[in-house]
Amino acid sequence: MNATSKAMPAAESASLIVPAKIDALLQCTEFVAARAVEAGFTPSRLCEIELVVEEVVTNICRHGYDDQPGQVELRCRRVDAQRLLLEFIDCGRPFDILAQPPPDLTVDLDQREPGGLGVPLIRAMVDEASYKREGNRNILRLIVRAER
Amino acid sequence: MEIKALANVALVKVEGRIDHISTPVFESELLPQVEGCTGEEKKLLLDCSGLAYMSSAGLRVLMIAAKRCRQQNGKMVLAALQPTIQEIFRISRFDTVFEVFPSVRAALEAISPAAAAAYERH
Repeated sequence: MNATSKAMPAAESASLIVPAKIDALLQCTEFVAARAVEAGFTPSRLCEIELVVEEVVTNICRHGYDDQPGQVELRCRRVDAQRLLLEFIDCGRPFDILAQPPPDLTVDLDQREPGGLGVPLIRAMVDEASYKREGNRNILRLIVRAER
Repeated sequence: MEIKALANVALVKVEGRIDHISTPVFESELLPQVEGCTGEEKKLLLDCSGLAYMSSAGLRVLMIAAKRCRQQNGKMVLAALQPTIQEIFRISRFDTVFEVFPSVRAALEAISPAAAAAYERH
């Protein structure tokens, strides 16, 4: 697969660049999972972080790039002993995943809309989240703790 | 996807990782099971004991299946969720729209005594 990856010592950052395709999801989740293992994340927390990465990258492919060709860069850095910073950078159209309205989860099954659960899952599983548009790039920064 | 018929219950084993890559297969295998799931004749029980991971793509398919079942007066229940999946259900409020049982046996006893008896004999 057309991707570049650069691992660095734990205190510094590591980065991965992949094509903006659903096929690249596994590479993205494995890349972040490897950093999270180094940082001492528990197995259940690892699973949650993989879920976050999957939901973010899928949204970038589908909504940032509208399923057109592009690239996604992932950066991962230890903030301290307990926290990892994940940065997702893409050159798709301006798209703030954090601003997407969540589906109404309080209604009965008949009124529930299938789908749209990615954003509520991300919000529940990360400790801090921010988005900015810088030039032609979307930059999503997430901070996750080793335990929740 | 392994499917076992127990009296009027189709016991469907949902296993592994259901992410955006594997969901199309999951969808193509699960949704046909919803067909004919009406009233007492056929009920659907999803054994999730081997399900390690499910992202929003898989949750969407579960929701579609549950809505179809409801529309045709069918019954679909889930059993034996691992803690990680329970947490995903809690965040998605799936625990309020699905009937979830701690074990396959408990689910069968609740939805079909005949299927529970058949399960014991296996």
